[in-house]
Amino acid sequence: MKENFFRSMTWMHTWVGLLVCWLVYLVFFAGTVSFFRDEVTLWSKPELHSISKPPAEPIRIAQQREQITNGIAYLANTAPDSSRWRISLPTTREPQLVYAYEKPRAEGSKRFGGWQTYIINPETGEATAQPRDSKGGNFFYRLHFDLHYLDARTARYIVCFASLFMLVALISGVVIHKRIFKDMFSFRKNKGSRSWLDAHNVSSVLALPFHIMITYTGLITLIFMLFPYPALTAYEDGLKGLFNDVTPTNIRTKSSTQSAPLVSTDYILDQVYTNWQSADLTSFSIRDPNKASATVTVRASTADLVKDQTPTMLFNAVSGELMAQSAQELTTSEVIYDSMTALHTGRLANPLLRWLYFLCGVAGCIMIATGCIMWAKRIRERMKKDQTASFGLKLVESLNLATLMGLPLATCAFFIANRLLPVSTVQRADKEILAFFITWLAVALFTLFKRAKMQWYLLAWLNAVACISVPLINALTTKGNLVSYMLNAQWALFSFDLVCLVCALLFILQAKKLRTQLSPPAPNTRSNRVTKPPLMEQKG
Amino acid sequence: MYAQSINKAPTRNPLVRLKMACKANVYALCVISRFSAAIVGGYVFTAVFTSLLSLILPLSKSDAVLLSVSLTILIYSCVFIWVFAIKSLKTVWITILLTSSSCFLSIALLKGWL
Repeated sequence: MKENFFRSMTWMHTWVGLLVCWLVYLVFFAGTVSFFRDEVTLWSKPELHSISKPPAEPIRIAQQREQITNGIAYLANTAPDSSRWRISLPTTREPQLVYAYEKPRAEGSKRFGGWQTYIINPETGEATAQPRDSKGGNFFYRLHFDLHYLDARTARYIVCFASLFMLVALISGVVIHKRIFKDMFSFRKNKGSRSWLDAHNVSSVLALPFHIMITYTGLITLIFMLFPYPALTAYEDGLKGLFNDVTPTNIRTKSSTQSAPLVSTDYILDQVYTNWQSADLTSFSIRDPNKASATVTVRASTADLVKDQTPTMLFNAVSGELMAQSAQELTTSEVIYDSMTALHTGRLANPLLRWLYFLCGVAGCIMIATGCIMWAKRIRERMKKDQTASFGLKLVESLNLATLMGLPLATCAFFIANRLLPVSTVQRADKEILAFFITWLAVALFTLFKRAKMQWYLLAWLNAVACISVPLINALTTKGNLVSYMLNAQWALFSFDLVCLVCALLFILQAKKLRTQLSPPAPNTRSNRVTKPPLMEQKG
Repeated sequence: MYAQSINKAPTRNPLVRLKMACKANVYALCVISRFSAAIVGGYVFTAVFTSLLSLILPLSKSDAVLLSVSLTILIYSCVFIWVFAIKSLKTVWITILLTSSSCFLSIALLKGWL
């Protein structure tokens, strides 16, 4: 497009990147938080904090057996007529045991009625207090690809195209980067947009394999929506045919109204354990219980395998006969596809690897943030003294401030709302989300008027205060706090509070840095020697 | 008069201004055309190419589909970059249209639609 390849790629990198950077920032931010989805959900439900983690191997199997048997008895007692029962077993990341049944559907409706859940403390076998209504980590998980207030399909298309742009920007970024190794170690302080470029390079290059992997595999997770055509061409019945082919347990028996007793759960579990010794079961669900068409689906954890498809067995719940089982050995193509999804979701990660995922995600956020700041800085530096900023530049600067500083603040608002909203509030979960978006909107409106250094400075302080207040309010409103979490070895909760404090510290550093820039020359004048980039936004 | 001569003279001349506006618009149109070649053209090409791939790969049906689906993004992003790397916009459009239609034709032949 330009005179030579190198310049074409530079041009493309700039514009493709700038076009989607704010959306991709949101996606990266929410995705990074979602690596700790279960932990964040746990944090947002203090009623579950007292439950301790499930025991290790030999005890676990006996305990899971007992939990399933008790659960079936409980559900048979509570909801014998429901069309679905589910028992979700405790895991290290979600320590609670859940019994659930489907609420009766509306008259004549085929739509799923929603789950009625009972949360059980696995140690005592008794129901815990109903935890507060909150989406917790699931909000960020959904925000990551469904955005919000948007039709899920439209949102996913938007996110897909933004990710594609991101991937293209990453590849062209490598192409235009001549000294990829040397730049890994260079950071020139206090050199205006040059410093921002260095920060951009360091954060991109250090985690480059992660960035490319996560963007590519992210697109793969939604690939059947984006590119259904190969399946449509190869199969007469399209995607349905493909899915039935690759997931043998995808069988639906026709519901019957004739009643029939359930086979004993032990009979089914014996078969499960003969096939999978020491399987770590995650769920046991029954469709049409007490009917002639009843089926049982047993799922096990994939543990730390690079595998996304959960090992599943499907039984006839009346005769106890095994109807289908997920493939033990995957073909090469299946492995390629499946491992990519597994790498993206990171369910395979042990705590250390999970932190690495998280840190790489943070590096991604920094890469995007420094990229969009750099664009604005460069234009500012090239501007002549008497020139006024163009509309485009003002827009980019506003969006930068609103997104980069608004998102962490909104996240803090979400967590503060989680602790401060009364437990009995109607539609509580939605109100937490409303707090998130209202805060973000407020920041965005604020940036409409001014977006100079002073505003960055103010928002940095605001963010610092918000980050500190999250663990503070948590300590005041719940029984736990940073110290008690450490003493009780509740590391998920401890880390949550710690991350908040670290973010607060970073925001204070940013504010300090901005202050030194603000004081000597009068605020709002932009000299050419802009100082070192303040450490940008971090996860909230 | 004096003031006018100080001002940048060419922008005052309506004819020159029109020419400049035209030039700027042509540039904008070129950029739009290139982006649509990359986004839409790339999408169409990838869709037909991988569909063809899923038919001709010597694997079982589900394996062929999964493999070609896994490659879609790689192909799409390569096409995307290629669109920006080529200097002539005409070459870009002609190549995309020709390759896509020949892929589609092959699919039609293989599936016996013709």
